[in-house]
Amino acid sequence: MSKIPMSNELKPISVIAVIALILLAPSIRDALREEAATYVSDSESSHDGLPESWNNSQVMCVMFPSDTPHPKFNSGVTMIESDGSTYGANSEFNGTGVCVGGFTGFTEGMTFFLNSTNATNGDLDVSYDVTEWGPYVHTIGGLNANELTGNFSGAYWELLHNGEISMVGIGDLIMSEGDVLLWRIATW
Amino acid sequence: MYDFHNIALTPTQSLLLNIAILSVIVFAVLRSERRLDDSNPLLMLGILAIFGISGRILLDPLPNFQPVTVIVILAGVYYGAPRAIALAGVIALTTNFVVLGHGPWTLFQVLGWGLVGASGAYFSDYILKEGQLMLNRLAALAIISAFVFNWIVSLSILLKTDASMLAPYLINGLLFDLYHAAGNLIFVAWLATPLSEIMTKHLDTSSSKAVSEPVSSTL
Repeated sequence: MSKIPMSNELKPISVIAVIALILLAPSIRDALREEAATYVSDSESSHDGLPESWNNSQVMCVMFPSDTPHPKFNSGVTMIESDGSTYGANSEFNGTGVCVGGFTGFTEGMTFFLNSTNATNGDLDVSYDVTEWGPYVHTIGGLNANELTGNFSGAYWELLHNGEISMVGIGDLIMSEGDVLLWRIATW
Repeated sequence: MYDFHNIALTPTQSLLLNIAILSVIVFAVLRSERRLDDSNPLLMLGILAIFGISGRILLDPLPNFQPVTVIVILAGVYYGAPRAIALAGVIALTTNFVVLGHGPWTLFQVLGWGLVGASGAYFSDYILKEGQLMLNRLAALAIISAFVFNWIVSLSILLKTDASMLAPYLINGLLFDLYHAAGNLIFVAWLATPLSEIMTKHLDTSSSKAVSEPVSSTL
């Protein structure tokens, strides 16, 4: 291989680069997702229709499809306080579901998701698969998106962060105060 | 009936299995290449397509680690932009349609790899000096191509969201751009020399360097 001498140094360099990247990947990922989180605007409108007392608190909403409503939250959107008490229902939303709000201080999306769904006293049971890409949430409130059938290839629980489709899964989501998470069924 | 094929493999086991299959394919293709007539770039493009398709599908468990980008650059360097773009389209469409999932993003992948192949053709004189492959220059182009390709494919999210989401999306994706760049470096270091040797054998007899004539004229 004297014809192409450069190849001899490129081989070890390439292996070292891959090993370095694998070792650094977790810290690179954390740094990037914090940087990216600063670009997600705290849209005021994501609090529209929610109780005014929740304006600076963290909220988690789940919207159910009209064909498969939640057995309990099937009229308007039920507002539940972080202590489990029902605030009331807002019927001006498009669709039916539930919002749990009044939380503060959560930074990790998955922790907030599990805590907020727990506040509903079992009405929003959650199931998820642990994958190498993080948790994949398939069931919320007894509705398993994997089992939905219709005029589509498949369905999944889509996560919105302050009104925009989340760029990362719930396991990678960094939250700040006043953030609103919303789950809804999406299809492909 | 016996259910011999219903064996649950861990992700690592199935990745090792895939790498073994890919090794067999690469070995068989390299052996069969020796019996091909010289000066037949179209057959060589078919071989490159087999490399790219099997490599992309079988290495799917490794994020963004696949040989397609480097193969398309080499096709551009040796055979010119039209054939490299055609190769990019065949590989993207076949892999997505058969296994990985076909959708609007396929078009962005074809555009991305097509541009990568065209840039290989554009820098052909710079990368291929007197029949010698300048590996470091090829590596530089492969690393840049990783980022350019990923950003072009990322534009496909604009079909579903508005432009304000592009910045956080690209930032979150930087790690995957780095995976792609590191993978390209590996493929350039270990695969480019043997590939370039067989590609040199199957250049057009009519011209000694990258072709500028359209594909149809040789069909």
